[in-house]
Amino acid sequence: MLNPPDISLAALLPTLLTLLTAAVVTIIGFFVRRRTVAWISLIGLAVATVADVSIWNRNIVTFGGSFRADNFAVGFSVVLLVAGILAILSSLDSIDQSETGFPEFYAILLYAVTGTMILAHAGDLIVLLIGFEVMSLAAYVLAAFQSRVTSEEAGMKYFLLGSLSSAVMVYGISLCFGATGSFQLAGIAAAAAAPGFANPVLLGAGALFMLVGFGFKVAWAPFHQWTPDVYTGAPTVVTQYMSVGIKAAAFAGLIRLFGTAFGGVSSWVVPTQILLALTMLVGNLAALQQRSLKRMLAYSSVAQAGYIGLAVLANQQAGWSSALFYLAGYTLMNAGAFAVLMALSTSEDGPDIESLAGLARRRPGLAAALTLFMLSLAGLPPLVGFVGKYLVFSAAAQGGYYGLVVLAAITSAISLVYYLRPVMFAYFREPSSIQPILPRIGLGLQAVVIISVIGTLVLGVVPNVVYGAVQSVGQVIAAR
Amino acid sequence: MISAFIFLPLAVALALALIPAERVRSVVAIAGALVTLALGLALWAGGLPVAERTAWLPNLGVNYSVQLDGPSLLLALVTAFMTVVGLWYAASRVGVTRRAGFMAMVLAMETGLLGIFAARDLILFYAFFEGTLIPSLFLLGRYGREKRMDAAIKFAVYTVIGGLIMLVAIIGARYLSGSPSFELSDLLARRLPINDQRWLLMGFVIAFAIKLPLFPLHAWLPSFHEQNHPSGISDLMGTLYKVGGYGLFRFALPLFPDAALELRGWLMLLAAITAVGAAWIAFSQSDWKRLLAYGSLSHMGLVALGMFSLNPLAMTGALYLLAFQGVYTGALFLSVGMIEDRVTRHLESQEAAQVAPKPVKVKGGKAHREAATTREERHALTIGVVQGMAESAPALAGVTLILWFASIGVPGLAGFVGEFSVFIGSYQVAPWLTFIALGATIGAAAYGLNAYQKAFQGQPSGGWRVPDVRRREWPILAATLTVIVLFGVYSGPALNLIQPAVNATTARFNLPSVTTVQGVR
Repeated sequence: MLNPPDISLAALLPTLLTLLTAAVVTIIGFFVRRRTVAWISLIGLAVATVADVSIWNRNIVTFGGSFRADNFAVGFSVVLLVAGILAILSSLDSIDQSETGFPEFYAILLYAVTGTMILAHAGDLIVLLIGFEVMSLAAYVLAAFQSRVTSEEAGMKYFLLGSLSSAVMVYGISLCFGATGSFQLAGIAAAAAAPGFANPVLLGAGALFMLVGFGFKVAWAPFHQWTPDVYTGAPTVVTQYMSVGIKAAAFAGLIRLFGTAFGGVSSWVVPTQILLALTMLVGNLAALQQRSLKRMLAYSSVAQAGYIGLAVLANQQAGWSSALFYLAGYTLMNAGAFAVLMALSTSEDGPDIESLAGLARRRPGLAAALTLFMLSLAGLPPLVGFVGKYLVFSAAAQGGYYGLVVLAAITSAISLVYYLRPVMFAYFREPSSIQPILPRIGLGLQAVVIISVIGTLVLGVVPNVVYGAVQSVGQVIAAR
Repeated sequence: MISAFIFLPLAVALALALIPAERVRSVVAIAGALVTLALGLALWAGGLPVAERTAWLPNLGVNYSVQLDGPSLLLALVTAFMTVVGLWYAASRVGVTRRAGFMAMVLAMETGLLGIFAARDLILFYAFFEGTLIPSLFLLGRYGREKRMDAAIKFAVYTVIGGLIMLVAIIGARYLSGSPSFELSDLLARRLPINDQRWLLMGFVIAFAIKLPLFPLHAWLPSFHEQNHPSGISDLMGTLYKVGGYGLFRFALPLFPDAALELRGWLMLLAAITAVGAAWIAFSQSDWKRLLAYGSLSHMGLVALGMFSLNPLAMTGALYLLAFQGVYTGALFLSVGMIEDRVTRHLESQEAAQVAPKPVKVKGGKAHREAATTREERHALTIGVVQGMAESAPALAGVTLILWFASIGVPGLAGFVGEFSVFIGSYQVAPWLTFIALGATIGAAAYGLNAYQKAFQGQPSGGWRVPDVRRREWPILAATLTVIVLFGVYSGPALNLIQPAVNATTARFNLPSVTTVQGVR
């Protein structure tokens, strides 16, 4: 390889801008106030978003195919940047209360965002792994950021189980390389499809190992065990980011990996179906039992991972776009739900669902927003959750997975019970005599709630604004 | 223009939030409902185009496609009319602090219902179908009685399970038939093989059987009505929410005609069981609202019987019944609300008389409130807790009696036309089942008149004079009575709306030698 390396700066620009912001923030954190750091981070991410949108439709492939800026990757990285922006906005006011008010918080958050973006752009297994690890390491630190036992426990648990999943993943990568002699996703697919391919068993095993590694990150049952504890223990703003940003990135990697490299391998299809069925059942049934709003949202995000997972099984053309749309909507509505949770929290454990009684009187705006997010998560029309579920379900149905779709439909109906409970308490119950005094809602949280409400409504009522643009993300790549 | 008709109530509902003055809010809400009704009547008069269509999710074949004609228009008009009636009553009945929210929910509900009747795209239909859940849930949860939470959860889960099963069937129907879109006309143009039809029909039937409801999927209904606001206004909207019969007629049966024909006997059996069983249970109810809930369940059994018989005359009757039971059952719920209002006041005054001599300072407010709730639970809606109301309130008694007659199916009132056609038509298909289902009419006479007798006749209890129909209540009763009598004796306009659609639908079943109906004018 003596040729000059094939590098396109345009494709790298959004990721580089994020990384640059992270580096700047790391240094200036020593010299300026926390709020200034937060604003610089916000500006950095906003510029990166603009850079990202500008390379839409250019489909640049660089580093010899290792780094792809096709529409799928660009679409996802916009979602990831938005998740980061929402997290920073949410942290503006709530962070002092949660004793995480160090400027380093933003630096680490930005490293996490960088990692998620690398993961979304990955075109070979090494880049994939780098993104995966950068993202995970930052997330471990974020989870343990607070000097509280539960937060430290969360970070430790996440780190131990996370390292195990990384190890499993690396092992899977080595098996895939051994079987095909290529790290490139396209190369693996080509090798597997070539006549006389010698190592189908090895490659199948590699795919399974990687499925487990990703299954851990997206919280598919039975690899979801860490989720409730980590989500509950971590500072709420971190939980918010993990439940949307990290999850979306893991799905981006998962979908691209299994759609491209393992498209012709069948070993993972049946296990995935089993995992998804388990995830939908476990996530929904466990969420039914929860008393704490934060923990309920943790299990709800497990359940949602089951629905989004249907897109992995679906054929590329329908599956990729539906997953992107679902995750875009999910990022808005889930971040919004966590923002409401933060606005209602007097401690980092968040309120009990029952303590929401009478919220409609005390905070009518928050109650209405919470209702909207809950109904959207439950998948009621005309909100974005419905359109997302509809797209994913019908993509899976087109792929012939009727059993799973019926199961998804039934578990969605069950999910309505726990999504409705907070709403019912907020509106239908009179407040008890002792009411915790609610903190003042800061501008940042207000902005997050408003952005999320608008997004949930607009994407639900006129979904074509976004879906019309992203519908072809599966097609373009298929052609290459 | 149709869209204006559909979404005007929702816009008014949102506007209510911006109006500061309570008095103005009620006026705006009622005016909005009246304008909506006027738009509907204009559509009927034919001055405006009847269909609209724009792409919603074009790449997925989902369109915003609405059309209002035939039975859809009839049901939409009844909905618009009853909304005006309900809001009018709400203006004097619901407490001033909560009134605007209540009215907003009723208006949002109206938009949902109009959308359901107008939708001609299956996904759009589903969106309205599920979307309507939200206002009805809020009506129940915010303004309902003591055990409203459980009732609301039950109602929501039943509805959503049914809806999602239908959604799967909708998606299945499109992909199995290879239709380019979810447009009803596209799907109708492709007939599926019988094996596919069977399963898809079951999906639709389960969803609509929950909404209708049909035995054994009716468990949500009694608690839904029992726990709703005592005024009966929410129940009125809930009565209109029985879109199951319409859905069967518009979607399920025409889309899967061969399966419908094959399963006709079984489905009719279920309907007959519902009709008779509910009448039987209704007879033993002691709560007004539960009585009416089971009564309307029984009527829905008859609607389903007519639909499933696939006979044109019976289908016509079923649609007629569906439309006008919304009027008379709704009006009955309101009349029960009026009774409840009087009884509650009476019991309160009695209680005050008892309590007054004692110094009540010791127990404080809480005990009093507890006493009030148990009183409400035990008495205010219990049939016959106060007797002999006819003596001091003859007008209320008379109107209630006429409404019950309509519900029983006495000739000359709107109920008769529908029930009679259902029986005649389904008799030609399944004489024995029809014979059994006739028990529902006999049952209606039994439970209806029995309840009437308990409450209105007999010795007036405790020398209490019931206030008769008030000035503000008259328009409600007069308007509904007019409609019931008018369409009891002159069914032509409504039948003209129903019949062409029925003939088009029944043509799909390939039944031997079916003559198209001219109706029982």
